[in-house]
Amino acid sequence: MRPARPAVRFHSSRTVDFVVVGSGAAGGIIAKELATAGLTVVVLEQGPRVEPPQFEHDEIKTLFQGALQINPTGFTFRRSESETAKPGQIQLLYHRLVGGGSVMFTANYWRFREIDFIEKSRLGAISGTGLEDWPITYRDLEPYYTKAEWELGISGEPGPFDPPRTRPYPLPPLPVKSSGVLFERGARALGLHPQPAPLAILSQPFHGRPACQHCGYCLGFGCEFRAKSSTLYTVIPIAEATGRCEVRPNSYVRRIEVDKQGRVTGATYFDENKKEQFQRARAVVLCCNGSETPRLLLLSASSRFPSGLANSSGVVGKYLMFNGYSSASGVFERPLNEFKSVTATRVLYDFYESDPKRGFYGGGAPDARSFAYPTIFALGGLPHDAPSWGAGYKRILRDYYTRTMNVDGHSTSLPLETNSISLDPEMKDPWGLPAMRVTYRDHPDDLAMMRFLQDRAIEILEAAGARRTWRQPVQETNLAAHLLGTCRMGDDPRASVVDRYHRAHDVRNLFICDGSSLVTGGRGQPTATIQALAYRAGEHIAQFARRGEI
Amino acid sequence: MLADPVSRRAFLAASTTAFAAAWLAAEPAEIRAALEHAARAAQSTEPLPWDVLTPEQAADLDAIAAQIFPTDDTPGAREARVVNFMDRSLATWAAQQREPLIHGLDELNGEVERRWPGTKRFANLAPDRQLELLGSQEQTPFFQQMRFATLVGMFSLPSYGGNADKAGWRVIGFEDRYTWQPPFGDYDAEAARGGR
Repeated sequence: MRPARPAVRFHSSRTVDFVVVGSGAAGGIIAKELATAGLTVVVLEQGPRVEPPQFEHDEIKTLFQGALQINPTGFTFRRSESETAKPGQIQLLYHRLVGGGSVMFTANYWRFREIDFIEKSRLGAISGTGLEDWPITYRDLEPYYTKAEWELGISGEPGPFDPPRTRPYPLPPLPVKSSGVLFERGARALGLHPQPAPLAILSQPFHGRPACQHCGYCLGFGCEFRAKSSTLYTVIPIAEATGRCEVRPNSYVRRIEVDKQGRVTGATYFDENKKEQFQRARAVVLCCNGSETPRLLLLSASSRFPSGLANSSGVVGKYLMFNGYSSASGVFERPLNEFKSVTATRVLYDFYESDPKRGFYGGGAPDARSFAYPTIFALGGLPHDAPSWGAGYKRILRDYYTRTMNVDGHSTSLPLETNSISLDPEMKDPWGLPAMRVTYRDHPDDLAMMRFLQDRAIEILEAAGARRTWRQPVQETNLAAHLLGTCRMGDDPRASVVDRYHRAHDVRNLFICDGSSLVTGGRGQPTATIQALAYRAGEHIAQFARRGEI
Repeated sequence: MLADPVSRRAFLAASTTAFAAAWLAAEPAEIRAALEHAARAAQSTEPLPWDVLTPEQAADLDAIAAQIFPTDDTPGAREARVVNFMDRSLATWAAQQREPLIHGLDELNGEVERRWPGTKRFANLAPDRQLELLGSQEQTPFFQQMRFATLVGMFSLPSYGGNADKAGWRVIGFEDRYTWQPPFGDYDAEAARGGR
């Protein structure tokens, strides 16, 4: 859906109302909310603009080569502050293109629940962690979850543990896959309560977009049909159609500039020729995800903000959360053909809340999953003790490929001050800027929760009649797709980066809204919450602008 | 965010080899060049000469790939032209892996001659000896690189030069289509019939 008229282009010397940095799950929504409220917006996106007809089923390019992802050699990693960080130790998966992660994500769309916002008050403080209540509650955010679901197009059906909602889902669930049928069978036999997985994928035509065609390439791939509800072809064209929003791809922001009064004046960025440009604006909104946003604040240190922009609290980059993840597999007698259709069609919320009887903090949910891209499955889909090559390998691969499913666990990460995004003292990125340094060690309770969900996954697969089950060993996270918590929201300027309206405590005309805003990480599927926050922030920021409060 | 990493294990499995590192670091332009090259090769009626491999090297790599993913009553790496995929890759975006791979092959052939004096190349060994030798090499970087390249060549898009006639996909029961309709598998079909 292209805008009806050519998108507006602003000259960089013109002062626009807002520069929005990042065009992903949050940035696309903020741009649309501001532009439709009558404000002028330039969105600076570091990646290219790729339109749906260019998306293809190419595992090499999309998964291995990761043309639109962060290059694994582009940052450094360490487990603790006492180590020297090195490149290539883990993989961070996020996407550099217009629409960002909302183009490539699996499209799970779980709302957070009441408990996610008030867990510290309910459970008490957990020593050695930064577990905090949010400054807002589920009730504050509910209207914006609803708005996101109805504007973007979400398919689902409420289940017994769902939080209250003011409107039903706009679309019914996607058709159940064999993995969903088996998951239901196993979970029900155990007295549990499986339900359809809520997905940002259209089960029916919606707002001029077609329903899902069940091609099977959701996770990590752009949807050539526009059935996945990415900001690329939902809200961004609406923003552009106002004539007040320019999305400027291949624009890599290196610094947010400030004046003598400590107000931001715009963003300095490299254009596609690596030439420096400056876009002036009355205010700036950062939506670059939980890793790039804190990095950009730290890169924007100045004599006025020596420890990084908006960092008087010292918590910019801290409390990084990845979400817990575990995986179990089962092989069944007859074909499931999990290579068809969406990734997950059933989920189980019985273990969502933390339960003191388990002996550790944590909560989460398992879902029924496909794991069936052919090359990836051939490389790593079989049990670890199966032959890895030769006639025996081929025999088992032929048997298992169409008959295997996963039950994956998605769970909590405790916010720890020592888990962080910072600037590497040695390594530079391809633009010559200090590379991002990631420091991360899973809390023992996070690992315990991963194991707990994996045990339940095995029980469900066995109760469903699996011929054989196996586990991916639970270990410290070495691949992260969710980057959360690094500019946390709070009422106390000494302990948080943004206030409850996403305004930086230290800078009146700087706003931050993306995964970095999250105070707690939920149960493993943060996109719905990031987008609800973006709708809420966009509405408030537009009001501030209209009232001259930026 | 690529959201939920269903495929964490395979990303990791795939990225543990030197060969994979080259894939992960390749530039989009190199990938495009590889695809264009493969397309030219596909259009040519004459078999093109190898780009980087000597005929002897190609024969050895073909023999190794054929042991890793053998032919039985269904096609294997040989029928899927995996060695063609390797040659094209090493000529383009995986060029930096050419030297370590050829070095690894030379070492393997050195081992062939040590064990079976008079035989100079892997491809000239009897199949049971090939199997025996590879079995002793499973943990070497060269073997891991060959496993990775063989399986990627077997199951990736045919436009990369392997998976000829979608042989790899047919062997495992995968079909690359843009639209499917339910039922997708036996269990949802059964449930739709009310048989759950």
